[in-house]
Amino acid sequence: MAIGRPLSRVEARDKVTGAARYTADTRLPGMVYAALMSSAVSAGRVRAIDTARAEAAPGVLAVITHLNRPQWHSTPAALRYVETRFPLADEHIHHHGQYLAVVVAGTREQAAHAAGLVAVDYETRPAVPTLDAALPDAHQPVWRFEPEFPTLLALGDPEARLAAADVRLDLEYRTPYNSHAPMEPNATLAHWDGGSLTVHETSQQVHLDRPVIAGALGLPPDRVRVVSTLVGGAFGNKTAVWAHTLLAAVAARQVGRPVQLVVTRKQVFTCHGHQPPIIQRLRVGANRDGTLQAITHHTVNGTPVLFDRPEAAISPTGTVYALRSVGVRVEVAGMHMPAPATMRTPGDGPGMFAVGSALDEMAYALELDPIELRRRNHLAVHPLLGRPWSGKQLLECYDVGAERFGWERRAPRPRMMRDGADWVGFGMSSAQRLEHHAAARAAVEIRDDGSAEVRTAAPEIGTGNLTTLTQIAADGTGIAPSQVDIRSGDTTLPESAPTSGSRTTGSTGTAVHLAALRARQAAARLAVADPRSPLHGLPAERVGAARGRLYDVDVPRRGETYRDLLRRNGRRSIVEQGFHDPAGADPRFAYATFGAHFTEVRIDDTLRRVRVTRHVGVFAVGRVLNPKTARNQAQGGIIYALGGALMEDLATDPVTGRFIAPALTDYHVPVNADVGDIDVSFVEEPDYNAHPLGAKGLGEVVAVGVHASIANAVYHAIGIRVRDLPITPDKLLRP
Amino acid sequence: MLAGGLSLGAGLAAPPVRAEASGAKPEILTLVVNGDRVRLEVDVRASLLDTLRDRLRLTGTKKGCDQGACGACTVLLDGRRVLSCLTLAVMHEGSEVTTVEGLAEGDRLHPVQRAFVDHDGFQCGFCTSGQIMSAVGLLAERPRVTAAEIPELMSGNLCRCAAYSNIRDAIEAAAHLSREGE
Repeated sequence: MAIGRPLSRVEARDKVTGAARYTADTRLPGMVYAALMSSAVSAGRVRAIDTARAEAAPGVLAVITHLNRPQWHSTPAALRYVETRFPLADEHIHHHGQYLAVVVAGTREQAAHAAGLVAVDYETRPAVPTLDAALPDAHQPVWRFEPEFPTLLALGDPEARLAAADVRLDLEYRTPYNSHAPMEPNATLAHWDGGSLTVHETSQQVHLDRPVIAGALGLPPDRVRVVSTLVGGAFGNKTAVWAHTLLAAVAARQVGRPVQLVVTRKQVFTCHGHQPPIIQRLRVGANRDGTLQAITHHTVNGTPVLFDRPEAAISPTGTVYALRSVGVRVEVAGMHMPAPATMRTPGDGPGMFAVGSALDEMAYALELDPIELRRRNHLAVHPLLGRPWSGKQLLECYDVGAERFGWERRAPRPRMMRDGADWVGFGMSSAQRLEHHAAARAAVEIRDDGSAEVRTAAPEIGTGNLTTLTQIAADGTGIAPSQVDIRSGDTTLPESAPTSGSRTTGSTGTAVHLAALRARQAAARLAVADPRSPLHGLPAERVGAARGRLYDVDVPRRGETYRDLLRRNGRRSIVEQGFHDPAGADPRFAYATFGAHFTEVRIDDTLRRVRVTRHVGVFAVGRVLNPKTARNQAQGGIIYALGGALMEDLATDPVTGRFIAPALTDYHVPVNADVGDIDVSFVEEPDYNAHPLGAKGLGEVVAVGVHASIANAVYHAIGIRVRDLPITPDKLLRP
Repeated sequence: MLAGGLSLGAGLAAPPVRAEASGAKPEILTLVVNGDRVRLEVDVRASLLDTLRDRLRLTGTKKGCDQGACGACTVLLDGRRVLSCLTLAVMHEGSEVTTVEGLAEGDRLHPVQRAFVDHDGFQCGFCTSGQIMSAVGLLAERPRVTAAEIPELMSGNLCRCAAYSNIRDAIEAAAHLSREGE
């Protein structure tokens, strides 16, 4: 079996030798360079734009602005093209950093220099700079994900339940702008061949990009090819078509040469997505016996002035704990901000910061251990669907985590644990993420040299899917993983699920699994029908496959290799397709992944700097396909959220709303020295109700609940409850 | 074959830069890159990073920020770790540059590269060249580095996938190996 083994990544050698090729590493003959010029104001209008100096600069081939851009075709829907307005649409400015011109030149230096020569005469208008300033505009969003992600929901009578509860809490939590900050800036290489366009793009989802690009340019989708082989980190920031892609395409058409456009790091921060600021108000009621009675959760997040984009922070609220009554409401408030994007973990990340913190506050109010409060409100059934959860080993996660962490050493009250100058605190939270699905296709080919190839579009963004999909195909065909090649990241390949929403394992993995099984079965049928095969005349279902060989399961010595079978029959290969139907899971159950986090923090009494010295994460995600890559991804998810908890804040100017320091020098993400001991384990029980492989998503649930676990540990250490992230020392500077 | 099956651009000749058109007086520069002496005409504004990537086609070295904040562009310059985005190529006439492409000897990986594979010291791989070059430089400077020192000494190299624990393990293993080899 290849599945379950800690195989090294199939692309590992390329990644350590520099041979791995990302979008900006790809070159074409005659390629030229584009640079983007960004708005210096947050709201207003371009009164005049002077491109004469830029056009006259050495090497410049084209300068495109709203005055001379080609016509855009279909109107974008605010989903995969994130905004509702195409780039350079008109003279109006809706957010700081908005692209106002694209400059194409013979070299990178020439393009960057000329972009700086474009002169704009702005008419500046007052901006709505902050979420607080936008609050009077708070309104229920018009949102096309209804009803899958509801923005208004009531179960029972929460007001009456709250009024009758023994203990009531009314709490406000805040999270700031957070940035995905992937290491690889977004990039495009656009190339026209007659009326057909090829776009090399930093994308998590080539097939979803294609119709957006084609629609904007007025092309039939089959004239657009999108290629995204390796992606240098994404975390959601590459789940949309952004302006640079469309601008590179029109620039390439205009200059008649391939155009490479790599956005600057500053532009990654401004115009390529973020998690917007959110204010969450929670009211929780519980009785003295520790039973939760009711919860209301009202959120408001910032949204661009042009369209509504709710951040579904209420998504965990009604489904994680047993509650007699639930009321949730999501609102948005318009700001002069660039477009947000889904960011690991959308909705559940900020939502569980609030819910997980509020549960902790309730545990102290009731003088209960935080785990005990969660146990008493454990939920076996999805309360809105009325169906039992499948694969919910959450109680085991608590047990395993408490044991590995040493939870029994926890003092019952805050400010009771001290080690020299350090206050020490323990915190915990649970984690949950609904298991999402998407349609997915894959092909598996068994070749006459005994090898196999997997073909499915899913780009590799670092999650290890090239490796896990190879393992799945290896087991399905009975061919060693070292003999299985994989091609991915190209719209010429079968359409996978997008590499987002933790869907690769469940959806694309199932498609590969089915394709591999069908290829094996087709080979078995060929063998049993072939009088020259040692398997001739057997029922096909008695044919097994292992180590590149088909054999009789009752008499394993009897059999032959794929190679011999195919060559004798003059077949170069056998190719079969697999399709994952998103409606395929057993409808009697509800599906999610689960986990528990335990954190130890140490806080220097004088400096009040929080260090996470130990963190234990235990997860129930069904079967683990590759413990090596899974453990790495889980550790990374925990650290990703640690950044949000302790340091990440894309600070804004309170007057203009501009990001003050959109740079990795100032937007601090965790560095090696910030990270203590991260212990990851899995309560591994295959969930065959969810998928035929029994494996579910991993990449997002691991980052859910971490913020609360850390904030809860901080409170336990020094008795200060921080409800607005990040937990920086200034918020702890009181006795 | 490269990961993902794409090998565009391999073997293409470097295009000539029309020096007179660049707007800045070009300079003739000689570098020794991964042991090979190269002579080229460069725009005086070109960083060492862009020169390696755009002119010499050594794209293993990555541009993560172009501001000296992320470490993805780390190379060895005359044996020392530098951020190649923060230095201009023309400042380094005659210097020796080692990039990630210059570490392996044929098919034999450098011990640090081997350790990164074995310990899964990356996810997306975009910061990996810089992490590895930093680690190679670090081990050259401090062959006896301890496990406790590695996190601080590697904190100039960001990894947003946060494979930090595995990066530490890989460097510790490589340090151990190279000490054994003494």
